[in-house]
Amino acid sequence: MKEAVDLSVIIPVILDVEAIADVYRDYKKVLTATGKSFEVIYVVDGHRPQILEELRALKRDGEVLEILSFEQPQGEAAALHVGFQKAVGRDVLTLSASHQILVDEIPKLLDALADTDMVIASRMGALADGKPSQEGKLERVLRVLLGSSFRDIRCGVRAMRGSVAKEVTIYGNQQRFLPLIAQTQGFSVREIEVRSDKSLAQLRSLMKIDFSIMLDVMTIYFLIRFTKKPFRFFGGFGFGVLLIGALITAYLIFARLFLDVPLVDRPALILSSLMIVLGIQIVSVGLIGEIIAFSFAKDQKEYKVERIVE
Amino acid sequence: MTIDLSVIAPLYNEEDNVHLLYEAIRDAVVPLGLRAEVIFVDDGSRDATFERAEALPRHDGVHLRLIKLRRNAGQTPAMVCGIDHARGRILITMDGDLQNDPRDIPYFLEKIDEGYDLVVGWRHNRQDHFSRVLPSKVANWLIGKVTGVPIKDNGCSLKAYRADLIKNIPLYSEMHRFIPAMSSLAGARVAEIKVRHHARRFGQSKYGFSRIYKVFIDLMSIRTILSFSRRPTAWLGRMAAYSFIASLIAMVFAVWFAFDDTVGPNVVFAGLCVLFGALGIFELFLALLNHLIYATRARGLLPFQVMSARLSPPAMQPNTWPDKVGSKKVVAS
Repeated sequence: MKEAVDLSVIIPVILDVEAIADVYRDYKKVLTATGKSFEVIYVVDGHRPQILEELRALKRDGEVLEILSFEQPQGEAAALHVGFQKAVGRDVLTLSASHQILVDEIPKLLDALADTDMVIASRMGALADGKPSQEGKLERVLRVLLGSSFRDIRCGVRAMRGSVAKEVTIYGNQQRFLPLIAQTQGFSVREIEVRSDKSLAQLRSLMKIDFSIMLDVMTIYFLIRFTKKPFRFFGGFGFGVLLIGALITAYLIFARLFLDVPLVDRPALILSSLMIVLGIQIVSVGLIGEIIAFSFAKDQKEYKVERIVE
Repeated sequence: MTIDLSVIAPLYNEEDNVHLLYEAIRDAVVPLGLRAEVIFVDDGSRDATFERAEALPRHDGVHLRLIKLRRNAGQTPAMVCGIDHARGRILITMDGDLQNDPRDIPYFLEKIDEGYDLVVGWRHNRQDHFSRVLPSKVANWLIGKVTGVPIKDNGCSLKAYRADLIKNIPLYSEMHRFIPAMSSLAGARVAEIKVRHHARRFGQSKYGFSRIYKVFIDLMSIRTILSFSRRPTAWLGRMAAYSFIASLIAMVFAVWFAFDDTVGPNVVFAGLCVLFGALGIFELFLALLNHLIYATRARGLLPFQVMSARLSPPAMQPNTWPDKVGSKKVVAS
C-alpha cells in the first residue's frame, strides 16, 4: 500500500520521444516548488527499450518514479487508465512526455483545481491574435455536435481531482475526449489559457484534423448521446431510409400499374427495395442495441450522487 | 429501524415549491401513523432548491432525506436514484411541482394493502391546456395497445409501488412514462385510481409538444424489450418469417414471368426474391446474437420470471381499471 500524496503525476509515453530525462527534471523542479507531495508514474506504451533505459537510469540516480510498461501498444487512453488506477494522490495531473506547454504554467492549473473538478490547458491563446474564439478543428466539430465549449481539448496537460480519474473510464482513442466525458458524468471542467513554447506554425499544425479522428468523433457522439437510448439513434436512420424506400417503391408500383411504365428498363425498383431492406436492418440492429442497454441497465447508474443530507 | 413508507420526489429548479411540497406531504403522511421518510432528489437544479430543502424543518413526524445529484440527470434517473436510496416497504413517487396532491396517498396505500404491486394515478380532470391533454390521450391509448397494459394516464408521476418489485425493474433513459409496462416484466398486478390534479403554481412546465416521435420510438423499444425478456427471439423470428414470405412471393412472380414472352420482369422479381431472402437470413443471425445477449445476462434477466411467479395469488381480478370496478371517488379540490 502506497502512502497517500497530494498529487499523482501520470505521464504516458506513446512515442519514442527525445530527452525524456530532461523533461522529467523540468517537471520535477516546478512541482517541487509548489510544496506539494507528489508521485510520478510513467506509463510506457509498447516496446520502447530506449525510453525504458532512460527512465531506469533516472531511477538509478535516485529519482522516485514508478515505471509501468505495456509490451504491446495499447493506446494512450489505456496508458492513462492504468496510471489512474495506480494513482494514490488526492489530485491527478497528466503530463506529456515531451513539452506541450511551458512548465511554469503547471502550478496555475493546479491552483485552478480549488473550485472545479478538472482543469485543462488551452494553447490557443497564442494563436488568438485578437480573434477571441480561436479553436482547433476537432474542437469546432465537437462544439457543433455536442455543444462542447473547449478550445484545445487535445492538450495532454490536465489536472483533475482523484475522483475524476477513478470514475471516468476511457479506452481506445478516447483520451482526447476525457474532459468531455468527465463533463457528461457531471464533473465541472474548466479550460484555462496557458503559454506554450511551440511556434505558431507548430500550433496550427496541431489543430489539424484527419479522417481517423472523425471516426472517433462519431463514436463519442453516439456514446455520449445515445448509450442509454440507442434506438433513438438507429430508429431515426432506419425509419428514414425505410420510408424513402417505401415511397419510391410505392411510386414505381403505381407507375407500373396505372401509367404503364415498365419496371424492367430501370434499376429503381432494386434500389428502393434495397433501401427498405437496409432500413429494416438498421432498425433491427438498433433494437438489439436497445436490448443491450436494457440488459445492462441495472449495472450502470445514470445518476451521480454528490451528497446525501439526512 | 424499518420504514413503512418512502415518498420520493425528484426536484429540478423547484425552489418555490419545495417548502409547500414538503408540508403537503408531511400533513398527508403523519396522520397515517406510519414510519415514513421523504426523499427529495435534487436533480442538479440551478436555483436554490437544495439550499431551501436543507433549511426544511426536521424531525416533525417524517424522516427527511435529501440527495443532491452532481448534474441534471433527467427525470427517470432522478426517480431511480430515489428508489435506490429508499428504505421503505412501500414507495410512492410524485412530481416535485405540486401538480400531484399528497392527500391522495392514503388511497394508494389502501390499494397496495389489497395486494396490488403497483398503483398508478389517473389525472381524470387534468388542469392543463387542451394542446397538452390531447397528445397525451393519444399517447396513452397507443401505449396501452402496444404494451398490453391499458393505463389511462402513464404520465402521472403519482404512483405507489411495492419496494421489492420496483427496485428490481430496470428503469433508464426516459422510462418513467412506461413504468406500468416495464413492471409487467415481473408480472406486476396494477391498479389505477383517480387522483386530484392541480395546475402548476410556480415555475415553468417542462414538457413540449415535440414528444410524439420519441414516444413512438420508445414504444417500439419497450415492445421489443418486453417480448425479448419473455421469448428472446420471438420478434426477430417474426421479422425473419415476414422476409421469407416476401421472398417467396417474389419467387412466385419470378417463376410466373419466366413463362412469359417478355424477358425482364422475371429478373426483377428474382432480384427481389434474393434480396428479401438475404434479409431473412440476416434476421436469423441477429436472433442468434439476441440469444447470446440473453445467455450472458441470464442471471440479471431471469429474476423477472421468478418474481412473476406467486405462491398464492390473492383472490382478485388480475387488473382492475377505474371504469370497470368501483374506484375511489375523489373530488378535485
